[in-house]
Amino acid sequence: MLDQTHSDQPAGRTGPAAARVGVGGPVGSGKTALIEALIPVLQRRGIDLAVVTNDLVTKEDAERLRRSGLIDPARVSAVEAGACPHTVIREDPTLNIAAGDDLEARFPGLELILFESGGDNLASTFSLDLVDWWIFVVDVAGGDDIPRKKGPGLLRCDLLVVNKVDLAPYVGVNLDRMIEEARQVRGGRPVIATNLRGGVGIEEVADAISAAVLFRV
Amino acid sequence: MLPTLRALWQADGAFPSGSFAFSYGVEGAIALRQGMRPAEFAQLIAAIIRHRWAAYDRVALLRAFRARGDLGEIAAIDHEVEASTLVEALRSGSRRNGASFLASHARLGDELARALRDAVRGGECLGHIAVMQGAVWSAVGLDEKLAQLTSGYTVASALITAAIRLGAIGALQGQAVLRDCLPLIEQIAAEPAPDGAELESFVPFLDIASARHEQADLRLFAN
Repeated sequence: MLDQTHSDQPAGRTGPAAARVGVGGPVGSGKTALIEALIPVLQRRGIDLAVVTNDLVTKEDAERLRRSGLIDPARVSAVEAGACPHTVIREDPTLNIAAGDDLEARFPGLELILFESGGDNLASTFSLDLVDWWIFVVDVAGGDDIPRKKGPGLLRCDLLVVNKVDLAPYVGVNLDRMIEEARQVRGGRPVIATNLRGGVGIEEVADAISAAVLFRV
Repeated sequence: MLPTLRALWQADGAFPSGSFAFSYGVEGAIALRQGMRPAEFAQLIAAIIRHRWAAYDRVALLRAFRARGDLGEIAAIDHEVEASTLVEALRSGSRRNGASFLASHARLGDELARALRDAVRGGECLGHIAVMQGAVWSAVGLDEKLAQLTSGYTVASALITAAIRLGAIGALQGQAVLRDCLPLIEQIAAEPAPDGAELESFVPFLDIASARHEQADLRLFAN
């Protein structure tokens, strides 16, 4: 759990607070699948967590998580993005901040809140007013030129997840080259390859979250 | 000049208050009247200003403003707004919008906003947006006139921005509607609002549209 009593904590946050981690990325890249895969892994590690979803036009992602049986439905909050998935995580993240504050108040001892962005494009980035650390998810089916496009989301995230690696041979993607180019454009910052449906790479992502914001290694 | 600058700061669409996610009935109205022409949309916005903002939001705002930070008095106004807002989506949207507004001011270090946020968490207050704006803007240093003008402008601007994002009107058409609303807002803000004024709102078309929108499977805005 982050001790945010020190002087550089986000303005207005007092006392020990849950770490806040963003999960962004294009539509269909696997953001909800990543959260679904992470929940049991993090729970097994004894991490007390909750989720805030940002759906664009429905509550599909929130309902999918609530009905998944993976997590107490009361621990999943839905925030409508008002047609602007960028705005709700960057220019005006206050609805998400308030949703996170509400979860913290309702579940004392909460250690981690995952904020799932609505599906967006490669320019999507999280405000550090909202999250302490964030993940950007892309998938191989989007094309192996994605790293070369150098979108701010891909460049600035703390962890880049390249998902659906099992599909690489079927969509004509040279996976090794794609991962290598992703590492190059990110200056060596972390990139993890996953096949979320097959359970590949989940533990590594959970390790990265634990080390970065929960200080558990 | 500082109060005027502070009013501009609060009216600026860049100030994070969560308002961008709420259409306060406009999305439902556009769905009901597809193909609405800019002139009809302008009439709708004028009706909302005259029949909802003028005697409801504005009165709630002024009463909270005059409470000068008295949490008990603010809570009483807040509960009155709750009890007199018929449509659930408008009620809950107003509370969530208010919570976001308080989150911003609390993080910016405003003591009254922090106290109000804690009062909402504790169930003493509900956090309706007009009430929270009135309370916080009195502490921020706006006078009553500026608080009203800021409120009227932000309401009109948010409704028009929602319509633009919904593709119902063009960006420049929206600015023409907003420009033409300004004299009406000024005129209403000059009208007296006695301390004992009741909260009054009557825009049945918008209430019906909001109630229908509440049941919609697909929607871009929370209300």
